[in-house]
Amino acid sequence: MAQILMVDDSSTVRNEVCDFLKANGLTVTPAVDGKDGLDKLRADPSIRLVLSDVNMPNMDGLTMAEKIRNELKNASVHVIMLTTENSPAMKERGKAAGIKGWIVKPFNGTAVLPTLKKLAC
Amino acid sequence: MSVDKQLLSKLLVLDEVGIPLDSRNILGDESYGLIGIRPQHGTVANVMDILKSNVDLGAIMLYENYHGTPSEGISLARRIHAVRPELPLFLRRDAEASVAGLNPKDAALFRCAFTLENPEPLRATLDSSIFNRIYPTSLVRGLAEMTRTALASLFTNCDIEVETPYLIKDRIIYGEVFTLIALESHWCRGYMMLQGEENALMGLVRAQAGEKGEGLTFRDLNSSLGEATNLVWGAFKNRYVNHSSDQNSPLQTQVPIIINHQRRYISFGADDPQLCLKYWLREQGHPDAAPVPLYQRFVFNLNWSPDAFSENPSVESMCDSGELELF
Repeated sequence: MAQILMVDDSSTVRNEVCDFLKANGLTVTPAVDGKDGLDKLRADPSIRLVLSDVNMPNMDGLTMAEKIRNELKNASVHVIMLTTENSPAMKERGKAAGIKGWIVKPFNGTAVLPTLKKLAC
Repeated sequence: MSVDKQLLSKLLVLDEVGIPLDSRNILGDESYGLIGIRPQHGTVANVMDILKSNVDLGAIMLYENYHGTPSEGISLARRIHAVRPELPLFLRRDAEASVAGLNPKDAALFRCAFTLENPEPLRATLDSSIFNRIYPTSLVRGLAEMTRTALASLFTNCDIEVETPYLIKDRIIYGEVFTLIALESHWCRGYMMLQGEENALMGLVRAQAGEKGEGLTFRDLNSSLGEATNLVWGAFKNRYVNHSSDQNSPLQTQVPIIINHQRRYISFGADDPQLCLKYWLREQGHPDAAPVPLYQRFVFNLNWSPDAFSENPSVESMCDSGELELF
């Protein structure tokens, strides 16, 4: 049972973000790419928020977001991208997939924690 | 940070002349950023050791009578060329600014021959072989800034410094770990590499992790350097790639990248000078600790059109890194 699914192929980012969120009282499940993220989300319906990188092997984060809506038919989970990407075209694709927000790396936990808590609870 | 300064290139000077051999003394002006370095001892073994340990040379200048006789100078040139054929060799002679008198095979070892009285052949060769690429100052400054920011976000226990950027012809890989990522826009296509020494960088990663540090392995370092590379790549795209016009074409060319592990050698198929930035990572609160070097190389081997270089005009309006933009 977790509140947040953290999807990133970089173990450095995964560990940093998961450690920060856990230290601030949130429960987190890590996933290594979009395919793994879909599997974890399918297995744990308690997840309220997906925090995901865009550029990952096997399945990218935007494709995962599209599949969350179209294949899992999960319209309630919030999806936020955490990525180095900042292009308008990518954001438009994300919006079309129903994502909630966009964070450009590097991760600044303190700045976004109140919003993440609100979305995850 | 001194990235606004003129681009430099290191010249290994194998010459017994008693003056510093830099741009001013060889060419009579400072319009070329040549930095002359000499071996501590002039022995062949010492020269070969330098070639093994220095990975960021631009060229080598050899005096024809190095070690006393022309035959020894030429013999050394043959050995240098055998191990580092990518490095341009310039021959300084006493009497004639040409390779006249050398047999054709030996003459082919040298990009040019010159005398202190007539350095024009050297100037022409520098123009064509090392300083033949324009790297816009704002681009070099931007690359250094975004890389420092990326490194500072990952190595939070370190102060990051960057040396004056320089041009290299070397193909030797520094250290044991390096990352490689493609950079593509309408004005450039090529690669960026980060190269470092595993043990020294592991020391920084472990120190930053505190109690968890002992449990970290080389894979954790791989991940940190991978993320640093990813952050620079993303910043490069956001700042320099025009998202509306830079569409990937399925017909874009590629060339093989060749890596020889035994010789720590990497070739991108092109002979053009690479832009190199060297960063020093120093652990905060430990002024006596040795700073750890990290080399960053840019190899625009597939396309280089600096005339078309531009910064993304919308970069200022994009959200700051680390902040959440809600839709």
